[in-house]
Amino acid sequence: MIPYPTTQGLDPAQFSLRDALDVAILIEEEARDRYDELAEQLAVHHTPEAAAFFRRMARIEERHRNQLLERRQTRFSGEASRVRREMIFDIEAPEYDEARAFMSVREALEVALRSEIKAHAWFSNALLSVQDPDVRGLFSELAAEELDHQRYVQAELQRHAGEPAGDPGPYGDEPAPQ
Amino acid sequence: MDCTTTNAPAERKFTAKDYDSKLRPIWCPGCGDYGVLQSLYRALASIGRPPHEIAFISGIGCSSRIPGYTTAYGFNSVHGRALPIAQGVKLANPDLLVLVAGGDGDGFSIGGGHVAHAIRRNCDLTYIVMDNQVYGLTKGQLSPTSPRGLKTITSPYGSFEEPINPLLYVLAYGAGFVAQGTPADMPGLTALIEEAIRYPGFAFVNIQSPCVTFGEDDQQLRAHKAKMQKLDTLGHDPSNLLAALDRARAYGTELHTGVFYRNPEPPPTYEALVKLRQAELAKSAKPRSQVLEAFVQR
Repeated sequence: MIPYPTTQGLDPAQFSLRDALDVAILIEEEARDRYDELAEQLAVHHTPEAAAFFRRMARIEERHRNQLLERRQTRFSGEASRVRREMIFDIEAPEYDEARAFMSVREALEVALRSEIKAHAWFSNALLSVQDPDVRGLFSELAAEELDHQRYVQAELQRHAGEPAGDPGPYGDEPAPQ
Repeated sequence: MDCTTTNAPAERKFTAKDYDSKLRPIWCPGCGDYGVLQSLYRALASIGRPPHEIAFISGIGCSSRIPGYTTAYGFNSVHGRALPIAQGVKLANPDLLVLVAGGDGDGFSIGGGHVAHAIRRNCDLTYIVMDNQVYGLTKGQLSPTSPRGLKTITSPYGSFEEPINPLLYVLAYGAGFVAQGTPADMPGLTALIEEAIRYPGFAFVNIQSPCVTFGEDDQQLRAHKAKMQKLDTLGHDPSNLLAALDRARAYGTELHTGVFYRNPEPPPTYEALVKLRQAELAKSAKPRSQVLEAFVQR
């Protein structure tokens, strides 16, 4: 069973369309920032290929965020948000313990796939309680998009099938008696 | 209609980003401390004190780099000496929110003797220990919380020693707030850090923050997710000290998260007592102008 990603104090059943858009924007924002963070970590730790892939994912999340933001501004321009970033916990963002120094691109793709799966799970689970037709429409659309992203990542994974797991190579730093 | 189940105000003075110094951590990818840092940012946003009213003191080690990653005043101090320095900071300026951080080696080996005294002194501090059961920064030696049998470069055939139990240690010395969390549950950890900061007195949070490079597989966050048990779902009463001691005994075998003990009647803090004493003495004190005169007469 896919674990239900956690949030703090959010009840999707109570969302208005504006709240739902705000949450969706924050989910993309958190994912963008996390991919950027992981990319920085890996770049510092001699893992440039996986870092480049995470940078690409960050740009994709940024694009999704901007698309949602545009819709939000068209419908609810100037209206304050009732949702804060602090309420969002790893809904689409890959978790910190997913990153490993020297991870291969294939392993990085697997991280992205797990993130798309949990984001889809979040929207699907939210739909179980949402009654508002506008919110249902938005979340159904976003759940479908997450499935599209999964297919995109899976296609990329096919290209990297058989790629071995990351190897520290000359940077290997195994503990040794001193 | 409110979209949230909490009564949190929609607009807050500070957000988590306000506490992020933008200095990028150099911890290993996958380190538990990243989650601790995120939880800390969120807890501080919830508390709402401006960064310039917060002092963050640490010792030495991977986790002790954490003050630099926040916008609070920070002091990455001396190995094992974070608590004495933090108490000095608090006494010098009791209005500051003082946070203390370090690893298990910093807190329970090199600085082990300071913990007991910080607890009995009861300054209003929040002490966060990122417990990874190993000395990671120096490439994986035994630490005071390493499990018996652990093989490291300093124990190639396995450790002979029983680990220190940080929870029992601080409970035994009378800490008023004792909790344990893991970055595998960031919402839970955020709430614990916030609650610890709000406790008026010495508060201790042991965070099982795995070392991804030298830690064992069964100590990683994925393992935490599988074995973690929240104390509030076990019917634990955090006002019951004996129950807390009993639960704390499971350290190292089970992963209980939540508040082990919260003193329902927190005693006055050291700095509050100092203030009272100063007020008492001030009643009988000579005016400043007469002090020199008294000296001269002698």
